[in-house]
Amino acid sequence: MKEVSCGHSLIPPCQVACPLHMEISEYVDLVAQGKVLEALQVIRDGNPFPSICAYVCTHPCEDACRRGQVDKPIAIRALKRFAVEFGGDRMIQLEAETKQSEKVAVVGSGPAGLACAYYLRKLGYRVTIFEAYSELGGMLRVGIPQYRLPREVVDTEVQRLINMGVEIKVNTRVISLDLLFDMDYQAVFITIGAHQSLRMGIEGEESPGVIDGATFLREVNLGLKPSLGERVAVVGGGNVAMDAARAAVRLAANKVSILYRRSRAEMPASPDEIEQALEEGVEAMFLVAPTKMKRENGCLSVTCERMELGEPDAGGRRRPVPIEGSEFDMEFDTLVTAIGQAPQVSENFRLRIGRGSTIQVDPVTLTTNRPGVFAGGDAVTGPATVTQALASGRQAAFRIDDYLRHRYPLVNKESEGILSDELLPKTVEMIRKIERFEPPHLSPEARMKEFKAVELIYNWESAVNEARRCLRCGMGAEIMFQDKCATCLTCIRACPYHVPYLADGGAVQIPPAQCQACGICVAECPAEAIVLRKPHDRRHIDEELEHALKSAAELKSKPLIVGFCCQYGIFGTGALASLWRESKAGIWIVPVLCVANLEEGHILRAFEMGAEGVFIAGCGEQCSRENTAFWVLQRVEKVRRALSQIGLEPGRLQTFNLLAPEGDAARALDDFTERIGGLCLASVIRGEVKS
Amino acid sequence: MILLLGCGTCMTVCGAGGEREVSFLHSALRVAQARSSDGAHSFLEYTVKRQCDFEFLDLLVDKVDESDAILSLGCGIGVQVVAERFPDIPVLPGVNTSFMGMAKEWGVWDERCAACGDCRLAETAGICPITRCTKGILNGPCAGTKNGKCEANKDMDCAWVLIYKRLEKLQQLEKMRRYYPPRNFRVIPRPRRIVKKTDVVLGEYNG
Repeated sequence: MKEVSCGHSLIPPCQVACPLHMEISEYVDLVAQGKVLEALQVIRDGNPFPSICAYVCTHPCEDACRRGQVDKPIAIRALKRFAVEFGGDRMIQLEAETKQSEKVAVVGSGPAGLACAYYLRKLGYRVTIFEAYSELGGMLRVGIPQYRLPREVVDTEVQRLINMGVEIKVNTRVISLDLLFDMDYQAVFITIGAHQSLRMGIEGEESPGVIDGATFLREVNLGLKPSLGERVAVVGGGNVAMDAARAAVRLAANKVSILYRRSRAEMPASPDEIEQALEEGVEAMFLVAPTKMKRENGCLSVTCERMELGEPDAGGRRRPVPIEGSEFDMEFDTLVTAIGQAPQVSENFRLRIGRGSTIQVDPVTLTTNRPGVFAGGDAVTGPATVTQALASGRQAAFRIDDYLRHRYPLVNKESEGILSDELLPKTVEMIRKIERFEPPHLSPEARMKEFKAVELIYNWESAVNEARRCLRCGMGAEIMFQDKCATCLTCIRACPYHVPYLADGGAVQIPPAQCQACGICVAECPAEAIVLRKPHDRRHIDEELEHALKSAAELKSKPLIVGFCCQYGIFGTGALASLWRESKAGIWIVPVLCVANLEEGHILRAFEMGAEGVFIAGCGEQCSRENTAFWVLQRVEKVRRALSQIGLEPGRLQTFNLLAPEGDAARALDDFTERIGGLCLASVIRGEVKS
Repeated sequence: MILLLGCGTCMTVCGAGGEREVSFLHSALRVAQARSSDGAHSFLEYTVKRQCDFEFLDLLVDKVDESDAILSLGCGIGVQVVAERFPDIPVLPGVNTSFMGMAKEWGVWDERCAACGDCRLAETAGICPITRCTKGILNGPCAGTKNGKCEANKDMDCAWVLIYKRLEKLQQLEKMRRYYPPRNFRVIPRPRRIVKKTDVVLGEYNG
């Protein structure tokens, strides 16, 4: 369990953008290899509740994804959802044992509270969650509608926490922190969210038929089905406004209008949500703000005025300015206000309150003005995302651990080894464009009737293809041994992406931000001065090879055939590879990141260790790299020449699936195995004739 | 034990005897051994920065002490310097040094200089007729040039056509109108030696 992890490779922008700093490139790569269980493991290492994020994360990682500079970002959240579903996340059982004597109270059971409880429990503390409502989940339960986050998902995670031994007290509103300390809790984490809707401050706001967004969504989510009438207006442009509007559609309101005082470009709601709301028939009225309202003749008469955009404000968004004399009246049955929410902190807590009624904390340690009291989540930040809340909860857990263990806070500094530069146009030009594949959605007609989850899951093939689009930022080549570099310029000449260059002083530079990690220069450098940055926990080819050779030696199986296979191709991944591994004794597959990374020495090493045949299999025309087959064939020819000088038949080295897809992979390999068997027999006979 | 010795400068640049080639050769030798079940020799690989300087070779003394022979992947010079530095053990050439040239592109090298000691590049617009003309003639082209290509190999440019075109471009065609007497074809007294330092008797000069 770790807060932040980084291997030898540079931290890619997606991971930096993720509030939880998940190892995104790692799990995306595992999905690309079809290793869903391993992908889920990586996801679970970095995220306490991946199933929740898989539905609702606003994926800042995708905004940071550098593939967006080439075509479109990787669909990271949808891939996580795929890994969570196909990896069987809901079947995973967690246990935790009590290792510490201290008890910690978590006040509030939103994502921050649940995450804090999860990590504290894993650290061995006894944890109690206090929740004012009847069910756990906070905004996950009462804020986010079911069509975005099915309730079973929250239930599963809550059940897992209970199984881990977290004590739950629902229907319990904490009125005093002193009481908690009296009850022998040594630390308290306040995460009460931001449930109080802001008021518009206009005439008639108290009229019947006006309801605030938080209350409305809470009622909907608790299954109360509030009656709305035919015409519903939602005031605001954030995610809560979208949720309220879309919930109203599902509650059979005939006409749902969003009134927003700026234009669509300034809307803080996530673009996907806006798009989906419009698909479901929600009408958006931009540059409109209500000024007063009145209940008359059984309906709500709302006076609005039109706005225009003025100078940008401190946040950079253009300020709406009323147009004089532009007032007009509209009629609705219900109006939902969703212009923002704030926390509501009891005065009894005696906590220092800052801007927007939020609790003031130290941003690093999350400590408040009271010793032993920590705070996080929306109560500190104001309304934010689920993932930010999870990160806040995790941070709190580790800082509470530091506090209880009397340790100086161990805070990771992340400034080193971050890859942040943009791709250069000349690099972008050389990268193959591959369209982003979106997961399927329920049709708008089907969505409008009920609260079923809108987004469906990728099938296996689309997930793998989507994951393969990843550029693997930060895993590129570097000149490890500058003193060895003879400045021969081989890397500059060999790179298909024009990445290495001669700096002013005459030294070769390989800018990590541009490198596409194909490994061609690594395998070609005559001084062996270049290495690929190593993703952590991953073996390089030589280590994989030694592993395979050792396993083969232990089994004493013959004839031994070693296959270096692109880990994305049909030979290296999927059912076919595992089939051979099990049923065809003597075929050992060494997965490689890219066949262009395979060196002559690796091939010879296999022969040295007794391999009768070696094959190299690519990923056919699926290859997202440039020119890889050319380099593989160069090396194959060189090794074949050496083999024939040694007295071995060059045909013992074979390539498959390099340029074009193999018609029948299994058949091709069968033929090769048979031929090697024949060569093997022939050499035995020759040996006996000689002696 | 046989020491496989690479050279980290020119031999690395031309892909003939750098660390990668040394390790390739090492691997190939091990395969040959494994196949013939002949384990008589063991190998040690190492690449020095330059084989043509004693100082770099001095760093190898311990390794050479353990070795029975050195297989040098240096150029002809490297092999000789290694042999001179380590007089007591056999030194074998691993590379057939062919010519001095340039990398035309990745994996293609062209000869450019014969080190003839009689340089004419100033008169021939920086294009050497000694190496680039098959006949090495000084007052070309000969009658065998066709469409700018050499009669000996139609993929090869005629050096004298190249020289003419470049002189024309530089407006120095008068250099073509001169007659160049034959080169000095006397046998060069080998080995040649260049002495840069002058004999200085300290004390003779007063600053």
